[in-house]
Parts: sequence; structure tokens; C-alpha cells
Amino acid sequence: MKCEQAREQLPDYLADGLDPEERSELEEHFAGCASCREEAAAWTRLGELTAEEPSPALRARFEAMLEAYEEGLGRRAREQRTSGGSAVPGWLRGWWPQRPALQFACSVGFLIVGLGAGHLLTARGAADGQLSQLREEVHNMREMVALSLMQQQSASERLRGVNWSYRVDRPDSEVLAALLRTVKYDPSVDVRLAAADALRQFSQYPAVRQGLVEALGRQKSPLVQIALIDLLVDIRDRRAAGALRQLGADTSLEYVVRERVEQGLEKLGMGEKSWAR
Amino acid sequence: MNGTPSVDSPNDEVLMLAVENGDARKLAVLFDRHHRVLFHFYLRLTGDRDASEDLVQDVFFRMLKYRQTYRPGMDFATWMYRIARNARTDYFRKRSREVALEEGWDAAGDADAAPGRGLEARQEAAMLRRALAKLPEEKREVLVLSRFQNLRYEQIGELLGCDVGAVKVRVYRALRELREIYSQISGRKAS
Ligand SMILES: [Zn+2]
Repeated sequence: MKCEQAREQLPDYLADGLDPEERSELEEHFAGCASCREEAAAWTRLGELTAEEPSPALRARFEAMLEAYEEGLGRRAREQRTSGGSAVPGWLRGWWPQRPALQFACSVGFLIVGLGAGHLLTARGAADGQLSQLREEVHNMREMVALSLMQQQSASERLRGVNWSYRVDRPDSEVLAALLRTVKYDPSVDVRLAAADALRQFSQYPAVRQGLVEALGRQKSPLVQIALIDLLVDIRDRRAAGALRQLGADTSLEYVVRERVEQGLEKLGMGEKSWAR
Repeated sequence: MNGTPSVDSPNDEVLMLAVENGDARKLAVLFDRHHRVLFHFYLRLTGDRDASEDLVQDVFFRMLKYRQTYRPGMDFATWMYRIARNARTDYFRKRSREVALEEGWDAAGDADAAPGRGLEARQEAAMLRRALAKLPEEKREVLVLSRFQNLRYEQIGELLGCDVGAVKVRVYRALRELREIYSQISGRKAS
């Protein structure tokens, strides 16, 4: 047997796809050919590499997601009942399922079909509103996961929840409120820091700006203080200078933080020279 | 393999259809069967534990979100790995950062430091990991899929959009390149 032939058979050999005769022929070739033999050996060695196991938290996070999802289905059903009618247009109502789970399944199905065949739906005249509503529902699912994780007992789970908020493009007020609550009250410095970082992407919302100013006022950790100072200076909120001065008036303030306050005021054009006058 | 159901439990395909029909709880069974295998898939590709855990979470999230794309008769593993590959593409596009693979792989090598394995075997394993990490991404993936994830060549072909013959060629080329890199690292001459 030549090497060329051996190479052709090697993948099948590796996948146990050769009959015994072909197999022993190939192994005979290996006996006399170091190059082919080593290729087969590399495959064997590869199979001996072990891998680490996932952390047990992975299972817990999955549970949180599934619960949030199921809870979301229930909530949607309640909302539909209290709002009196449904948002389903007349041409659909005939076969729109009554069970919330199926309703949601239909929605997601429509979303996917709709993305592919949007022009068809447009032709039916009801597409735009319907599609944006359906997109909204999928979007809410991500928010629910973020919210549910931010309420967990363990700090690492809450951290995950904060990180999930990055996957939400346009958060509703509930997610923003949860992030702000976290940055103000979470007992873990890591989680508060992460929440401050996450809120940066939502700094165009007035409620977020207001919340960040308040958070700085009650913050005791130098790390989080610095993160909040940087954030308020970067977004150039009009209340930033006031909040920084107020913080600077605290005599127990750590030196590094005080320095940051002064730098921040400089950047805002409110340095010592300009505001001492 | 991990995904093999026992006699009295329904197979993956049946479970996924149930999820699709509104029984979201059944996804937990699929999670129990596949999350480790998926985690290993990502860990071997990226060497990044945290990213791998996030990605596993994202795969199951996407299974809910896109469950209507699962059709009766589809091979569940192939469908799952298709989602897994998309999730990884999106994840690293979003981060738009290069993962420091080599460091990651060295860290991932800790599992080989288990007592009872000889020093030489551990060093060999570490070198092999480094060689794997140096392999171009497509080649690393085809090796991971065929060697570790136990996918058949037909499944890999469906996943990568090529026929079985092409998969075999890819596997062979990847293995050959791996051996060459390994020889360089270990200081042995590649013949
Ligand atoms: Zn040969």
C-alpha cells in the first residue's frame, strides 16, 4: 500500500469505518511508515485530552432562564386578559390559539416566518404593527432573564444578570430600575461595579442619569465611587459637577477618590480655579 | 455518548418537538443530556471557561427562541450544533476581541495535571493543546467535531455545508497540520 492510499483511508479508519481486512492492510502500512503512523497516533493522543467540567452554576442559570421564560408566558396571558381584547388582528383571530404557550409559539413562528416572508405579510396589510409587536415579545424574554438573575441570592448569579442586560437592545423601565437598584443597594462591590458599567450604555435615559447621581451620593466603596465619577463625567450630565462637589465635601473621602473628583471637575471645566471664584 | 437516552426516556427529537409544542420544561432534559458536551465543544474551541458557559446558556436560550425552526425528522444534534456555531459567531462578533487562545488553553490544561498521570504524559498533553490552539480555527473545529464531539462525518458535512468526502479531506488535512505543529513544538522533526 502506498501513502497516498493510506491517507485516503485514514479518516474512515479513525472513525471505525473500515472493514477488518482494510483495517489490517492499513495497519500493516503503519508498521513500515512512520509518517502515516504518527498521524494516526496524533488522533489517538487527541482523544486522551481531558476537559474541565462546567461549574454547577451553569445548571442554576439555565433554571433561572427557564423559569423566567415560563413566568413570562403566564404574565403575557394575564396582560392579554386584563387588556380586554387581544392585539391579534381580525384575519388571524379565527385560528389564533387560546393557550398562552401556543400563542407565544405562534408569535415566535411568525417572527421567523415574517423575517423571511415579510413582503407577503405586508401585502396582507397588517404586517408592520404585528411584526414589531412580535419582536417585542422576543426582546422581553431577554429582559426577563436579566431580571430574574438580578434577584438571585448568589452574587455571581446577580453578576450574570447584570451582564445579561447587555443583550437587551432597548430595555424597559423595569430592567433599568433593576440595574439602578443594583448599583445603589447590592451588597457586593463586584456586582455594583458591573451594574455601573452596564448602565453606561443606557446613559441617554434621564432616569438612568438621575439614578447614577443618587447612587454616587450613597456609595461607600472607593472602587464604585471612582467608576461612577468617571461615568458621570463622561456623559457630561448637568448634575455631575454638583454631585462631585458634594462628594468632595465629605472629609472622610479616600485620597484616590478625592483626586478623581478634582480631575473630574477639571474635565467638566469646573476645576478649582473656575468654581472657587 | 452523552445524548444517548435510556430505554424509558424519549429521544432528543421527541423532546424537542414537545418543547416546540409548548412544553418548555422538556428543555431541561435536553439541557441535562447535552450541556456538558456543548461546554466541552466551546472550551476546546476557545479555551475560555466563562465564554463557554455563557455560550452554552445562549444555545439553550436560542433553542427556545428559534424552536419553530426545528422540524420533525431533523437530527437534533446537527440542529443543536448549528445553533451552537451561530451563537459563537455572534458572541465573538459582539465582543470583537481576539481571545487569547494560547493562555486559555494552557489554563484549560489543568485537567491533565491530575495526580496519577506521569510528568511526560502531562507535558505531551500540554504540547498537544498548544498545537491544537495554533491550528487555524476551521481546522480546529473540524477536529473538535469529529474527535471530541463524536459527530459522524455525515453530520459534520451537513453542519459545514459540504459532502462527506470533503469532510474526510478536511479531517485529514487538519490532522496532518496538527501533527506538523506538534512536531515543531515538541522539537521532533516532522517527516
Ligand atoms: Zn505512509
